[in-house]
Amino acid sequence: MHQLRQQAFGGSEEPNPSTSDDLSLVAAVLSKDRKATAEFVARFADGLYAYVRSRLTPRCDEVDDLVQEIFLAAWANLSRYQGSGPLQAWVMGIARHKIEDYYRARLRVLDPIEDNDHDHSASAVVPELHRALERDELRTKTKSVLASLPESYRLALIWRYWEQASAREMAIKTGKTEKAIERLLARARAEFRERWNYGQSA
Amino acid sequence: MANLPEEQFMETIAAQAELRDAQPAPTNLKAKIYSALVLRQAESGVLASLTESRARGQEICIFEQLVQTAPVGEAVKCLNFCRVCHARVLAEHFENPPIYWSGCPYVQFKKS
Repeated sequence: MHQLRQQAFGGSEEPNPSTSDDLSLVAAVLSKDRKATAEFVARFADGLYAYVRSRLTPRCDEVDDLVQEIFLAAWANLSRYQGSGPLQAWVMGIARHKIEDYYRARLRVLDPIEDNDHDHSASAVVPELHRALERDELRTKTKSVLASLPESYRLALIWRYWEQASAREMAIKTGKTEKAIERLLARARAEFRERWNYGQSA
Repeated sequence: MANLPEEQFMETIAAQAELRDAQPAPTNLKAKIYSALVLRQAESGVLASLTESRARGQEICIFEQLVQTAPVGEAVKCLNFCRVCHARVLAEHFENPPIYWSGCPYVQFKKS
């Protein structure tokens, strides 16, 4: 009997469901079996939610809508899933595209922030407070600093360093020049580092 | 790490600080997504009948059992009953809805 179950993305504690299991779930969802559809939601909702939330924080008001949009897109394209990899990775791929769409749309409308009067050279000599940070503290601090940044900086940094998009890809997708993206990233990095070293009010 | 160039500093931070946390999706979000998916499915043609769901080994809820055993045609068993069920309304609006019977997806979302 199928059981509703929860499976977090990216966790190494649980094995991926077998591809044949994925294929039978997909077939059942495509045949409009409502119980299989419930299983589809239960299986991927937590992982998708955690992923989207991490990429949109602190704008959590948009997380629910985006997660729902990802599910609807996944369902609309489900017939394309061929079982060549885990369904989880396939759904995650759709989520990544949706996040990219979000970044692209936001970065197109947000004005890049011009260089301010901060002396970024000061960042070269910084207290090494983070040396002792444990992983959790590091994560908390990183999230906190990211959340304190202007939105264009935050999105650019997450897109570039956590989603690992190249500046060229970002430029193509936002319709900006590669140089403009590089400048945006440079300012964002400097601001991130300054707030990291000297506090978020910098 | 303090003296790393900015590019390398960001790469190091990104490699070490996973932004995801373990917060599960809210129950009412799961309920809304499920409702939206089934609504879309119903709009694009009939749903699989409850008889088919049972044949696949799926558990159906007490209300669905009534429909499934009633002397009605298969077409009726394909209707989207969840749309008019109070469990859906409660689950979409409350994080811990007061619904408890087995075989109901909205109840299962509470457990997952």
